[in-house]
Amino acid sequence: MKESFFRSMAWLHTWVGLLVCWLLFLIFFAGTISFFKDEVTIWAEPETHHVKQQVQRVQSQAEQINYVFAQLQHQAPNSLSWRINLPEPRNPILSYGYAEPKQPGQRRAPFNYTHLDPNTLEQLPAPRDTKGGNFFYRLHFDLHYIDVFTARIIVCLASLFMLVALVTGIVIHKRIFKDMFSFRANKGSRSWLDAHNVSSVLALPFHIMITYTGIITLIFMLFPYPAETVYEDGLKQMFEEALPINKRAKPSEEQRPLIAINDVLDQIYTKSPNADISYVFVRNANTATSQIVVYLATGKDVVDNGPRYLFNGVTGELEASSGEDWSASAQFYDSMTALHSGRLAEPLLRWLYFFCGVAGCAMIATGCIMWAKRLRERLKADQKPSFGLKLVETLNLATLMGLPFATAAFFIANRLLPLELAERADKEILVFFLAWLAMLIIAVSGREKHHWRYSAWLNAIACFLVPVVNALTTDGNWITYLLTKQWALFGIDSAFICAGLLFLLQSKKIPSHKTVINKAKSNKNRLLKEQQG
Amino acid sequence: MHSQSLDAMAGNRPKNTAKKRSVSLSYRVAVFLRFVAAIMGGYAFTSVLISLLAVLLPLNKLDSVLLTTTLSVFFYCCVFIWVFAVKSLKTVWITILLTTSGQLLALSFIKGWL
Repeated sequence: MKESFFRSMAWLHTWVGLLVCWLLFLIFFAGTISFFKDEVTIWAEPETHHVKQQVQRVQSQAEQINYVFAQLQHQAPNSLSWRINLPEPRNPILSYGYAEPKQPGQRRAPFNYTHLDPNTLEQLPAPRDTKGGNFFYRLHFDLHYIDVFTARIIVCLASLFMLVALVTGIVIHKRIFKDMFSFRANKGSRSWLDAHNVSSVLALPFHIMITYTGIITLIFMLFPYPAETVYEDGLKQMFEEALPINKRAKPSEEQRPLIAINDVLDQIYTKSPNADISYVFVRNANTATSQIVVYLATGKDVVDNGPRYLFNGVTGELEASSGEDWSASAQFYDSMTALHSGRLAEPLLRWLYFFCGVAGCAMIATGCIMWAKRLRERLKADQKPSFGLKLVETLNLATLMGLPFATAAFFIANRLLPLELAERADKEILVFFLAWLAMLIIAVSGREKHHWRYSAWLNAIACFLVPVVNALTTDGNWITYLLTKQWALFGIDSAFICAGLLFLLQSKKIPSHKTVINKAKSNKNRLLKEQQG
Repeated sequence: MHSQSLDAMAGNRPKNTAKKRSVSLSYRVAVFLRFVAAIMGGYAFTSVLISLLAVLLPLNKLDSVLLTTTLSVFFYCCVFIWVFAVKSLKTVWITILLTTSGQLLALSFIKGWL
């Protein structure tokens, strides 16, 4: 491409990075929040905040499953699908649901959920209609308002660009270790370069891991060809071989009573006496083709799928299982997904994941700001900025300041939107995008220092509002969460307070107009001297 | 190193046209063709390579598919970077087309598609 390998790589790094940096920022930002997906969902459903974590969680599972089965036999004996979600260390609620008959015109059968307090088995009030943490989780690979398949292809391509940018970034970077400890503040684009280097190098293994494994989670959509070549029926046949428990029996008209669930549980406890059950599914309940599927938790293994068992619902016979003995390749593939989702991470490791994700956001943000800064610095006094430069600056302000603002707006909307609103969950998401649009309008109106300062102020206010609105609209607040040790809720409120403080700091750090001109002059002189020297 | 990469960043504008503040058409086409070669060519090359590997590897069906599919991104990324590292665009296209069709031919013989 260029005269030397080094220059080609520098060129590639710049352009591959710049082309997709805003989309990558969205993916990294939403993905980083998704590490706390369960916690965000708990925060978003204050109706269940009073539920305490069970002391003997695993020991009471058999009793809970028996109780729920009795309920389901009573409520929906002929449903095509039952589901039981048992309490987990990160989510204390016991919930179950069944599929209602599908109405014509519906794509999927609606699911009717009931939530229980696992300690007393009393029914809890239905939580508000919200997507909670699932919104951010979906946003980071399905985007929103566009077709899922298209979105995933776009996300895959952006991730590939990211991987290329990472590799070329390492190639053009000659002093990885030294740069880890160098930061020169207040030196124009040089400072941004240093910030870019520090945030990249410090968490480099994480950046490469999360990007690579991210593509792997969608890999069969991107590269179905090996499976299509090796298997006659392609992907479908491969998945059936890999996960035989997913093979659904056809619904049958013939009525046959479901086996007592204890017969199934006994088989599981004989296999592994301390089994920690995550989910129980029943397909085609009370018919000749009924099936019972049990998912166990992954425990501390680096795999995304724990052991899973498929039982015949009439005879109680074990028909298939998966995830018990992995081959090396299967373990290799599955551990990649596990590393990406970070479901294995205990609290401390989860925070490490989170801060590495924040470093990733910082790396992308500093990268795209630096590009604009450099062009600005090189503009002569009489030169007007090009359209490309203005576009990049607009998108920088709109994305970097808009996404945190939209996130805070989403959390506030969760508390303030009326509970009886139709399609309330979608309205929350609408608020998210409207807030983002508002920031885009600010960015279009101008990208001067004071626009950045205003948006930093707006962000700080929005972030501080989240714990305040939460305290005013629910029974708990930041202090009581600390006293009652509700760490998920305390953590989210604290995160918003920290973010608000950071935005305050940012607005203080952005210099006023006069000092900018003086600084720019001295910077230019310094750059000239450096280039001469 | 930094001044070097600064120059390289400015390199999107060839020096002789920098004053006109516009990029020549042939340069734009060349960059576009590089990206097509990297994205499409890299995709085709990787797809055929991993399919061939999946057939050739002495593993059972499921394992060879999982292994090669998991490694696909690594190959794709390498090809992508290689496309931009080579000086001549012609070399890039000829290499990609030849290797991809060669592998496809081998795969067709093994699978008996011909």
